[in-house]
Amino acid sequence: MRRNLPDDTLRQRLPFVIAGLLLVSLLLLLRLVSFQFQLDPAVTSYLESVRESGYQRTLRQAAVRGNIYDRDLQAMAVNSLEYRVGISPNLVSQPRETAIRLAGIMGLDELDTYNRITSEVPWVLLSAGASADQGRQVAELDLLGVTIEPRPRRFYPQGSMAAQVVGFVGGDLQGYYGVEGFYDGQLAGREQEQMLSNIPFDVPEDHDEDRGSDIVLTIDREIQYLIESELERSVTLTEAARGNILVMDPRSGEMLAMASWPTFDPNSWYDVRDDTLLQNSAINGLFEPGSLMQVLTLAVALERGAFRMDDTYLDRGYIEAGGVQVQNWDRKAHGVVDLTTVLVETLNVGAATISMQMGPATFYSGLREFGIGEPTGIDLQGELPGILFVPGDEDYNDSLLLTNSFGQGVAVTPLQILTAFSAIANDGLMMQPHVFRRLLDGDEVRASSPSTLGRPISSATARQVTEMMVTALREGMGGRADLPGYTVAGMAGTAQVPTTLGYEAGTSIVSFIGFLPADDPRVIVFIRLDHPNEYWGAAVAAPVFQRLAERLVILLNIPPDDVRRELIASGGAVEAIQH
Amino acid sequence: MRQGVLIEHALRRSWRRQRQAVVLATLGLLLAVIVGALVYLSQAALDATTGRQLEILIAERNDLEQLNESLRAEIASLRSVPRLRRRAEELGFRLASPEDIDYVIVDQYNPRRTAEAPQIYSQQTTPAADYDETLAGWIQQQLDAFNRQPDAGEGE
Repeated sequence: MRRNLPDDTLRQRLPFVIAGLLLVSLLLLLRLVSFQFQLDPAVTSYLESVRESGYQRTLRQAAVRGNIYDRDLQAMAVNSLEYRVGISPNLVSQPRETAIRLAGIMGLDELDTYNRITSEVPWVLLSAGASADQGRQVAELDLLGVTIEPRPRRFYPQGSMAAQVVGFVGGDLQGYYGVEGFYDGQLAGREQEQMLSNIPFDVPEDHDEDRGSDIVLTIDREIQYLIESELERSVTLTEAARGNILVMDPRSGEMLAMASWPTFDPNSWYDVRDDTLLQNSAINGLFEPGSLMQVLTLAVALERGAFRMDDTYLDRGYIEAGGVQVQNWDRKAHGVVDLTTVLVETLNVGAATISMQMGPATFYSGLREFGIGEPTGIDLQGELPGILFVPGDEDYNDSLLLTNSFGQGVAVTPLQILTAFSAIANDGLMMQPHVFRRLLDGDEVRASSPSTLGRPISSATARQVTEMMVTALREGMGGRADLPGYTVAGMAGTAQVPTTLGYEAGTSIVSFIGFLPADDPRVIVFIRLDHPNEYWGAAVAAPVFQRLAERLVILLNIPPDDVRRELIASGGAVEAIQH
Repeated sequence: MRQGVLIEHALRRSWRRQRQAVVLATLGLLLAVIVGALVYLSQAALDATTGRQLEILIAERNDLEQLNESLRAEIASLRSVPRLRRRAEELGFRLASPEDIDYVIVDQYNPRRTAEAPQIYSQQTTPAADYDETLAGWIQQQLDAFNRQPDAGEGE
C-alpha cells in the first residue's frame, strides 16, 4: 500500500504534466509558424537580415576592366596584378634571415627591411606595389607572419605612348581623361555581387564574368611612335616649351595618331605634379592659329561668292577699321595681288580686306560651319570649344572682323583647326574626328561608322583652296615642306603669344597643316610648337612636316604621284591604309 | 488466491511480450535513425568536401586567369615599338627610306575590291525539332513501341 501510493500519484499527475508540456510545445510551434506568415514587411526584412547575417555575407567585386588596343590590336592598356606585402614582426622568429630573403626578392634595402621587421608595431608594410613575379616568389617562401594581398592594377605596356589619348585609371578604379575617361562605362563592366556562405555544405557560387568590353582605337601605334619621336626631337631642337602633332585620315575622320609634349607615364600618373600634363592639349590647348586662319577666310569668301579665284585687290601694306590698323608681316605694300598670293605671302592685309568685303554675317557664319568656336565632339574626355566672338557677343568689337581673318583674337584647339582643314582635304565634307574603331564585347563586335559634321564648302571650292595651298607650300616655304614625287598642300602659321597686357614680344606659336597627296588626300598632319627659338612657322614647323611626310608615305603605303596615276589609269586603285 | 496469481502471471507474460516488442521496435527505430544519420552525415561530409574542392578549383582558376593577364601584359610590353625597333637594329635592320621602295604596278589592282565568294545554294534541310517531350509523352512513346513489338514466335 505504501509502495503503490507514489505510483498512483504519478499516474494521476502525469497526464497534467504531459498536457502542460504539449501545450507549451504547441504554443512554441504556433509562434514559429506565425513567423512564416508575418505580414509586417519591416519585421520580415529584419528577420531575413538576421537570418542571412549569421551565415551569409555579400562580397562586391569590381569587374575586370576591358583592354584598350590600337588599330592593329596591339595592347595599349591591359590589366595586371600587383601585391601588397606586409609582415607581422612579432610572428617572425628569424628576423635577419627573413629580411635578407624578402629584401632580395623585392629589391628593398636589407637594413631598412630588417629595421621594419624588428619594429614594435603589430604589422608593417614592406611593399605597396610588388610585381606579380615578386609576389609569387614571396608566397613560395611560405614565411610565418608575411601577408600578401593581390591588388588589380591597370598596366600600360607602351609606357608614355599616347598617354593623353588613352588616359589612366585612378586608385578608385575609375577612368580619367582620354579613352579611359570617355568610355569608362563600357570599359569598367558591371560590379559583381558574390554571396559568401559560412555553411560548409553550401556549394560556392561561380558567376560568369561580367567583364568590361575591350575597345579598339583608330590609333596606329607605329605612326604614334613616329610622331612622338619627331615631336620630342623638334621640341629639343627648337627649344620649344610645348608641342602637338596630330595625324588624321580626312576621308573618315579617324585619328591615326595624336601626340602632345610634355607628356607623362600613365603607369605612374600619381607622380605627376602638374595636372595639366594629364590633360590632352590637342583637344584643350587653345592657341591663336595665325596665318592658318587665312586659308579658312579665303575658303569662306570663295564659297560665298564674295571673291573669285582670279580676283585681285590693291595691297597698300595696311588697312584700318574698327579703330585698329592691320599691317602685313613685312610691313610692306604688295600692290595688286591675287588670292593665291595672299596665301603664298601670308598677307594679313589681304585676309582682312577679304573679310571686310564679306561682312561679319557671312564671315562668321562661314567660320561656324568650319566648326570654329565649337567642340568637334571627339570621343575623348576634356575637349574645349575654343573662342570665337561674333556680333552680338558682349566681347565682340568691329576690329575682330579684321584680326580674326588672319588668326588673331580667335582661339582654337589643334584638333579643331585640323578638322576644319580636313574638310578642304576631303572635297568639302567635314568628317567627325574620332578615336573609337571597334568595341569587343565577348563574341559581339560593334564597329564605328564614319559620320559627317557638315559640308562647309563645296567640292569645287575645296579643290580651288587645295590648289592655292599647293602653290603656297611650293612657293612660300623655300622647299622646307616639299616631298619629292608627291604633290603636297600645306600652310604654315605664326601667331603672337597673347598676354593680359597685349602680345608677348619676340616669341611665337608656330604651326603647320599639310595633306597629301593633294589631289586624293590620304593623310592630314597638324604640327604646333610653342615658343621655339625661331619665330616663323615656315622655318620651324614646315621641316618637321617634311620629315614626318617622308616616313608617313612608307607607313601608310602611299605611292608617289606618277605610280598612283599610272595605277589608276590601268584601272586599279591605291589603298592607303591597308587594315 | 492461486487463481489471482495465475492471472497476474498471464498478464505479466503478455506485458513482457509487449515490452519486448516495443523495445525491439524502439531499437529498430534507433538503428534506422543511426543508419540514416550516418548516411546523412557521410553525404553532408561528401558535399562539404566537394564544395571545398570546388572552392579551391575556382580560386586556382582565378589565379591562373590573373597570371594569364599578367603574362599578356608582359608580352605586350615586350612587343612595344621602342623595344622591337632596338631589337631589329641589333639584328641589322634599318628604317627604309622612300628611295628604298620600288613600286610595281599591277594592272587593275584594287585592294578595295571585294572578293566574290562562291554562292552556296542552300539544300533542303529540315529544321531542328524543338524539344517538347514530356514525361507522360515519353511513357506513352515507350508503351507504343512495346505494343508494336511482334510477339515471340510470331514472325516468319
